Amino acid sequence: MTEHTTNLFTIATGSTEPIYRQLVEQARRLIAGGQLAPGDSLPSVRDIAQALAVNPMTVSKAYSMLETEGLFTRRRGIGMQVADRNNGTQSIKNRSELLRPTLERAALEAKQLELSADAALALFQQILKEKL
Amino acid sequence: MIAPIVQVASISKSFSAQPVLCSLTWDIHPGQVIGLLGRNGAGKSTLMECMLGLREIDSGSITIYGEDVADFSEATRARIGYVPQTAELFDWLTPNQLLDYFKALYPHWNTTKVENLLSRWGFDQLKREKRINKLSGGEKQRLSIIRALAHDPQLLILDEPVSSLDPIGRREFLRELIGDVIERDTTVIFSTHILSDLERIALDVAFLKDGQIALQANLDELMENARRIVGPSKILQHMPISGELRRTTSADGSTCVIARTNEEEIGALTKNLNGSNDIRIEGLSLEDLFVEVTQ
Repeated sequence: MTEHTTNLFTIATGSTEPIYRQLVEQARRLIAGGQLAPGDSLPSVRDIAQALAVNPMTVSKAYSMLETEGLFTRRRGIGMQVADRNNGTQSIKNRSELLRPTLERAALEAKQLELSADAALALFQQILKEKL
Repeated sequence: MIAPIVQVASISKSFSAQPVLCSLTWDIHPGQVIGLLGRNGAGKSTLMECMLGLREIDSGSITIYGEDVADFSEATRARIGYVPQTAELFDWLTPNQLLDYFKALYPHWNTTKVENLLSRWGFDQLKREKRINKLSGGEKQRLSIIRALAHDPQLLILDEPVSSLDPIGRREFLRELIGDVIERDTTVIFSTHILSDLERIALDVAFLKDGQIALQANLDELMENARRIVGPSKILQHMPISGELRRTTSADGSTCVIARTNEEEIGALTKNLNGSNDIRIEGLSLEDLFVEVTQ
C-alpha cells in the first residue's frame, strides 16, 4: 500500500475545465490505470492545496466528489484512501469511457479539419504505437 | 443565509463628470474569496477605494461590518487589511521603521508572522534597515503585503497585489494566502489581470463593467455552464438559449451566442444538432469569459 505524495496531481490553469474537475478526472484515470490501488493513502487536502497553489476548498470539493462516487474512502485518523473495489480491476468498458471526453474533442477537431475517419484512426493508431 | 459583511448599496462615483461607478450594488459574505475582474479603467480600484472610505462616494451607501464607510470605528478598521495597487509606503522610512509605525496603530499585531514573512521573502537585516525608496518595486509590494497581513485581518482587500512580483514571488504570495489567510476563513476581495492566479484562489468571480457588477458567480459553476454556441444565423436566430450573455451576428451569416446555460440544456442542444456540422458548442476558459463578459 503506497503513501502517495502531492506529485500525484497536476493542474493546468487557462483550461475550459475547472480545477476541481481536473483533479477528479486525474484520480479516476489513475485508479483505472492501477497507479492508485485500493488502500493507498492520499495526500491531505492542505498538502495538495499548498503544493499546487490552489484554494483548499477546490481540493476538498474534488475529494468529496470522489468519495461520493465511491472511489475514495475517508478513514478516521488516517485520512483519505483509495476505496476497495468489488471486482478487482475496472472493466475495459469503464476504463474506455474515461477516454471518451478526450476522444470527443479529437473527433470534433478531426471534423473541423475535414479529415476522414480512416485518416484520423490511422493517426491515432500510429500515436498509440509510438507511446506504448 | 448569513448576513453580508460588506454591503455596497447603489453607489455612484464620477470623476469630473465622467461616471465610473453607476448605481453599483454588491454584497460580500463572510468567508467568500472573490476575484474582481474588469478591463483597465473599469473602476476596480475606485470601487475598492470607496469601500475602504479612501474616496467619497457621490451617492448610495457602503457598510462594512454594519458600520458606515464614512464613520469606521477603530475596531472595524483593525479588521480590514488592504494592499493598494501601488505601494503607498513612506519612502523615507526603512521597512523596520514602517512596520513599527503600523504596529503602534493596531491593537493586534502578529509579530511572529511578520518576522516569518520578512525572512522568507528576502528581507535580511541589511534590507530591513534600507530606505524604502531604495527598494525594488517587487520588494515594496512584498512589504506592502506583509503590512496588510500583519494584524491578521478578517477582510482582505487586494488591488492587483502581485503586479510587480515575478512568478516565484506570486506563487509565494498565493501559498501564503492558501496556508494562512484562507485557512482562517478570511474574506478576500482580489483584483488582478493575472487570471491564472485568480483561477487558483478565487471561488467566486465578479465582473465590473459599465460601472456595475455585470455578473457574479461561483467560478466552477460558471466555467462548467458557460458555452459558446456558433452557427448559421438562420438557425440560431430562432433558437432561444437560456442564460444568454452576448449574441453577435457577423456579416457572413453566422451568429455567436455566449450563454450561461445548464447541463440539461447543453445535453438537449447537442442532441438536437444530431451530429450536424453546422453548429459548434464549446466550453470557455476564464480568459474567454473575461473577454466575452467585459468587452
